[in-house]
Amino acid sequence: MSALEVWTFRLLVVVALALFSVQMATRLRLVAAGAQNLRWDRFPERFRQFLVDVVFQARVIRAKPWVGSAHLLVFWGFVAFAGFTAVESLRGLGLLDLTETHWFRSYRVALAPFAVAVLAGILFLLVRRGLFRPPALGQTVSKESILIGVLIATLMVTFLLDLRLEGGAERVNWWVHMLVILAFLVLIPDSKHLHLVLSPVTVFLKSPVLGDVPNLDFEREEVGFETVADLPAKQRLDAFTCVECGRCQEACPAFATGKLLNPKKLILDAQRAMLGGQLDAKLVDVFDDGVLWQCTTCGACENQCPVGIEHVPLIIGSRRGLVSNGEAPDYLGPVFNNLERRGNIWGLTYDQRDKFIASAGVETFDASRHSYLVWLGCAGAFEADYQKSLRALFEILHANGVRFGVLAKERCNGDPAKRTGNEYIFQELATQNAEELRQAGAKKIVTSCPHCLKTLGQDYRRFGLDAEVVHSAVLVSELTSHVHLAKDDEVTFHDPCYLGRYAGHTAEPRALLHRVGAEVKEPVRNRDNPFCCGAGGGLLFEEHESGKRISQERLDQLQATGARRVVTACPFCSIMLKGAQASTQSSTEMVDLISYVNDKLRGEGRGAGG
Amino acid sequence: MKIAVCVKQVLSREATIRVNDQGTWVRDADAQFEINEPDQYALEEALRLKEQHGGEVIAVSAGPARVTQVLREALARGADRAIHVGDDALVEGDAFVVAAALAEAIRPEGVDLILTGLQSDDQGFGQVGVVMAERLGMPHATIIMDVSLADGQVRVKRELEGGWFQWVTLPLPTLLTIQSGINQLRYATLKGIMAAKKKEIRAVRAEGRASEQRIARLYVPEKSKQTRVLEGSAAEIAKELVQALREARVI
Ligand code: SF4
Ligand code: SF4
Repeated sequence: MSALEVWTFRLLVVVALALFSVQMATRLRLVAAGAQNLRWDRFPERFRQFLVDVVFQARVIRAKPWVGSAHLLVFWGFVAFAGFTAVESLRGLGLLDLTETHWFRSYRVALAPFAVAVLAGILFLLVRRGLFRPPALGQTVSKESILIGVLIATLMVTFLLDLRLEGGAERVNWWVHMLVILAFLVLIPDSKHLHLVLSPVTVFLKSPVLGDVPNLDFEREEVGFETVADLPAKQRLDAFTCVECGRCQEACPAFATGKLLNPKKLILDAQRAMLGGQLDAKLVDVFDDGVLWQCTTCGACENQCPVGIEHVPLIIGSRRGLVSNGEAPDYLGPVFNNLERRGNIWGLTYDQRDKFIASAGVETFDASRHSYLVWLGCAGAFEADYQKSLRALFEILHANGVRFGVLAKERCNGDPAKRTGNEYIFQELATQNAEELRQAGAKKIVTSCPHCLKTLGQDYRRFGLDAEVVHSAVLVSELTSHVHLAKDDEVTFHDPCYLGRYAGHTAEPRALLHRVGAEVKEPVRNRDNPFCCGAGGGLLFEEHESGKRISQERLDQLQATGARRVVTACPFCSIMLKGAQASTQSSTEMVDLISYVNDKLRGEGRGAGG
Repeated sequence: MKIAVCVKQVLSREATIRVNDQGTWVRDADAQFEINEPDQYALEEALRLKEQHGGEVIAVSAGPARVTQVLREALARGADRAIHVGDDALVEGDAFVVAAALAEAIRPEGVDLILTGLQSDDQGFGQVGVVMAERLGMPHATIIMDVSLADGQVRVKRELEGGWFQWVTLPLPTLLTIQSGINQLRYATLKGIMAAKKKEIRAVRAEGRASEQRIARLYVPEKSKQTRVLEGSAAEIAKELVQALREARVI
């Protein structure tokens, strides 16, 4: 390399690095200015998610095997090329020339198949983006993405040519290759390709628990996120990491039913506000009108996001900011007052629960005699259909010699308050419930409500409850492993979000159904990626849902399986789906999992006839 | 616009009710309490009027130390300050005694408007408001369904029997007893609760005054069953049955 070449290259490198750094600094400063909520605890779990989601790109591939695999090739190609780029840069800078070493020659040859793989991958992605324009990626073809794609392709072509070319042509080729790399460096920070740099960190920092929303600290006068400036570091990092893939948007039940809420846009709106210096803007103004209240907290967006972005804490955090100022939607006011004054969402008095317990002949929990505490939940206290399911659970437990009791008095677990951002009521309820459960000495708690499962099992850890909490589907499937009834029915199963997605219990309900003779016809969106019933996040109380009702959409999906029976395992899914069914007058039968299983076990009732 | 709202602390609907040893009132040492429901609507109405017209809302409650709990709730929902009229005897005081105690505490404030709930969920006399108005020499109106202020006057909608309403205009200062359901109650917010900690609850002593009325006996309704077999011809039985049902005041 001539001296002129070396000096030109040095100059260009300095300019490119400077441009890169300035743009990066703006973003990193914004992240650093947010309240510190980056957590490094639970290292093994974090390392695992790094390995699975970054190194093996599992989440990229899972939902979209073709695109994901192409992306895996490009990703691994980049990693493989890091050494090559470093060596060539050192040579270009005139610092150290390793290009004639033996190992570099072998490395170069070994890279050739990678280059072909990356080229194939990127051409596939370019064609998909340019010609097929998947809606999740936005209406218009992003010029920036096409440019980046062409640059990557150029890198690979020049690399491959380099293996063949000699003399002047080789120099030109080298320059093209290196200039593309420098251009890349300059383009990255202000594009979604910033995820190349940030996503490994973001994935590592993501909570190992889906939809994890830490408590507000009242001592420190925390009230939730009101303005852009209130967004803490992880939420800021999230906003800069988004690769705009639209997977969250595709998974979102609110977006799918024509509502304004789009989790992808939410993240990009936060990014735009930060870069635009609107730190004092209210979040409610930064986001589209009303979208914060359209979220069911189903967790689909967060669970699909390949780069570790956590939407649920952002949404609930922003709701908290509104609720703390008295700006919750009108339909939540009575719910909050009911929770505060009566300890349940319906504002009923608990004598109904007492009557139910008395008529079901259930004892008050006594740690010396009972191995399980059955947590009824507010639906267990007031909802007739769900009480049937609980009676079925009691029968199964009795039949299997499991000794159990219930608390003399319960309050709502606080899930509706937590997910709607009313942290004051949530903490009041959680503190009292956790204390009473601890005092009762319960070591094992079983519930038929997936929301109770998540709240008692995860959120109550922060209130000092360390009992094991299981869903009845899991316990009953353990108790009935010996059962094998002949197949005589065909059903479809709706995975509740808080059971399938949040708790990952997808196998147990299916094993149970199979065991009692029901073949499961899977609907679209099943197991750990179900389509929400529309009840979560306080939307159970929203009567004027815009667009198509989420529950209606889900019912349509379930009916499309052709099964005459829909089985589910959550009192709120039941309420929503029954509501949707009532308005369509279809003949599909709704039944709760445990009721169904018990009917079959007893060889009677509607379930047994098939 | 200076508004006083009287809030009463009553037994929670969730509480298990036990009669005290003297059989004169409920045993309240281990009971749970809450803010009287109609008073919640009175408070909400006061807060709304303040939001529209500016001014100050003062929550007032009479009773033992435990009633400061409902004052805190009122402060958390937006009342500016509170007055606790302290006297343990007020728990069993009659409407006249309570009204007198509240009136004396409110008098020096020189308020424009006093709002109370229509009646209390425990005793349900519906008297405290009107007696207070009388003692303070203010006009009053009861069973209020709507309140609007204009030109130093207050126009209210009263609920009458049989689906009839009456519109009345009163001069200020005045006292209104508010019907439940007149508005939609707000919920307690974190900011409100934090702010409430810094707000003042001023304690004043009530003048000891003996109740004119006293509860002679408080007891759980006694259920009893009686079976009587009627005999004779159909006509006789029918006659006797009508007679018996009349006696039992069924017909
Ligand atoms: S949690 Fe569910 S409803 Fe809410 S934004 Fe994400 S996908 Fe949409
Ligand atoms: S938030 Fe995640 S899933 Fe959604 S567009 Fe951004 S990167 Fe994709």
